[in-house]
Amino acid sequence: MDPIERRVFVQGAMIGALAFQVGGVETLLTPRQAYAQSVPLRTLTAEEAKTLAAVGEALVPGARTAGIVQFVDQQISIPPDEALLEARILNVRPPFADFYRAAIGAIERASGTRNGGRGFAELNAAEQHAFIDDMRQNKIDGWQGPGAPFIYFLLRTDAVDVVYGTMDGYASLGVPYMPHIAPTRSW
Amino acid sequence: MANEKVDVVIVGAGASGSVYASVMAKAGKKVVLLETGPDWQLGDLISSDFWGRRIKPAGPPFLLEGKNPYGYAYQAGWGVGGAALHYFANFPRLMPNDFKVKTEHGKGLDWPINYADIAPYYDKVARDVGVSGDARAEEIWRPAGEPYPMPPMKTFRGGEVWKKGFEAVGVRLAPAAVGMNSTEYKGRPACLYDGWCHVGCPIGALANPLVTYLADAKKAGAEVRARATVTRILTNPEGDRVTGVEYYDAKKESQIQEASVVVLAAWSAQNPRLMLNSATGKHAKGLANASGLLGKYLTAHFSSGTSAIFDEDLQPYMGTIGAQYFSYDRYDKNSHKAKGAFGSTFIVAGSAQKFSALGGVANARGDLFGAELAAFMQRAARGYTRIGAFGEEMPNIENRVELASDKDEFGMPLGKIVHSYNDDAVALFNANFEEGLTIAKATGAKEVWSNRGAMPTIHLMGGTIMGNSAADSVTNSYGQTHEIANLWIAGPGLFPTSGAPNPTYTIFALSLRGAEHLAGSWSAVAG
Repeated sequence: MDPIERRVFVQGAMIGALAFQVGGVETLLTPRQAYAQSVPLRTLTAEEAKTLAAVGEALVPGARTAGIVQFVDQQISIPPDEALLEARILNVRPPFADFYRAAIGAIERASGTRNGGRGFAELNAAEQHAFIDDMRQNKIDGWQGPGAPFIYFLLRTDAVDVVYGTMDGYASLGVPYMPHIAPTRSW
Repeated sequence: MANEKVDVVIVGAGASGSVYASVMAKAGKKVVLLETGPDWQLGDLISSDFWGRRIKPAGPPFLLEGKNPYGYAYQAGWGVGGAALHYFANFPRLMPNDFKVKTEHGKGLDWPINYADIAPYYDKVARDVGVSGDARAEEIWRPAGEPYPMPPMKTFRGGEVWKKGFEAVGVRLAPAAVGMNSTEYKGRPACLYDGWCHVGCPIGALANPLVTYLADAKKAGAEVRARATVTRILTNPEGDRVTGVEYYDAKKESQIQEASVVVLAAWSAQNPRLMLNSATGKHAKGLANASGLLGKYLTAHFSSGTSAIFDEDLQPYMGTIGAQYFSYDRYDKNSHKAKGAFGSTFIVAGSAQKFSALGGVANARGDLFGAELAAFMQRAARGYTRIGAFGEEMPNIENRVELASDKDEFGMPLGKIVHSYNDDAVALFNANFEEGLTIAKATGAKEVWSNRGAMPTIHLMGGTIMGNSAADSVTNSYGQTHEIANLWIAGPGLFPTSGAPNPTYTIFALSLRGAEHLAGSWSAVAG
């Protein structure tokens, strides 16, 4: 084979962005850019998105603006064999939208039950922290839906992905990304 | 639709299928590989934990049951290159004490071969694909063989800082043998130590099939058909010969590929699924299943990981995902007998660390979230490192693949993997955590902890085990099924016991041994 050296694979440099619908036109954006541009959601409802954003932010600070909602929404709207979600690795059975709807619904039901009808996004920071800590340890009575620790793990991974798994994320940690094939400017 | 008959059809274009394709094509045989996933190229291997998931399984799922459900998707393959497209390329060998566990300890199973039977193939594979390491250093644990073709890889502080800890407990380390280039090898460049091996090495420094056996196979004329999903193995009316396979192509149209020999190289769980789904009146329990052992004796590895954060800048993101050092000093099956454990332990130290995804730094403290996680990530970014102790699970007939009632899009029953660890394995898992923490504390690290969580299932072996006869196994030592001479199986499914090390070097070696035997006995086998 021809000699190949680091970072000569520039042809791959733009295929890391995701395809979002902006004004009826398919546009390649990172989730952070999609959040900043308020790209319309394709699958999640506004209420589901509000909960997911709040949970993501409580799990990993910065997840909201890093585009966790836009990332998940775009990913559950495409064929599952094209998905980049950790759900794929954790044997979640497609369609992935079903799992995310069930997970968000379970969080909302449990939050409402133990917080006088308030959804997760309406809780204060201390209440959100306590709720998630109990989810993690499977200590929420009457939980209905996919296992709480599994949801914790999976949504935490999604949040880690968008905050720390990007080139921006590595920069925030002060470490070099060092790609052979750069995913995009920030992916 | 029928296709022109070929000499060999191989189901699966991963590590083992690629070896068979290379050997048989070079022997002048017409070879077709059928691969259910996409046709990946090196340029698809983007350095990103997100994009690395594209090369993980996306076909119909296996249903998971048992006390320790087998989490396969992180390690399994999807597409041309298979799991070896994203493997860590650690190249440890099985040891002489792995082959007669039943005879020597009254537990587990025996292999029908010994270390001496496979050793020459370890050496051949090393020459074929390029292995870096120090054979002399590791020969304190095994019989002498050929030197590796390349010197050991560079080491980094993330590995070196563990030496003091290992010395404290009397565990010796050797430079890890890895399927990576420490120097240029056969026209492939040397590794750049960027640490993205686990999402695929696009420069060809890591010995994945695309740049080794599969490349050789294609050069010799083998044809690869991607997006070709095999659903049945076809037999003659007498049931004593296979005649080819039925598959669905990329357009989801039914195809028949006739062949003189069928090689199943589709992974430990998929091969039994196919064979069970190919039952006929002559093989009512599934093909080559007179023993009733088809799908049985699945085994897995489990890792007891220990983490540490040091005050110094370890540059943990540098290096390779493969280990810098390894040790067999706890490989005796009774190394942790005092703790009630049985089985070998294989120790690795000093792999590169990326920050997201399943094996990333963030999951080293899966209990942390919010501000605590953010603070941890900042501490770990420069000072984090870990070691791993891989444990051996003894074969248990209850750990198995079987067909489920649910079906996939082609009407083929889904596979179900049932897996539970026994007390020996749990005790070994715990003993390795205990020793790992002792080692970590002796390093002088600022923070040390055990990466405890649900007992992991790493690698999948067994399911079509080799043995001496149809009474105790599915295939002979070459992978030829006992009952159907022209049906062969390749891959880790052949392992009667798992040993403790990463299996791919052994997969390559066993496949080379089997393929050379097939080529050498072609007339008798193909008829």
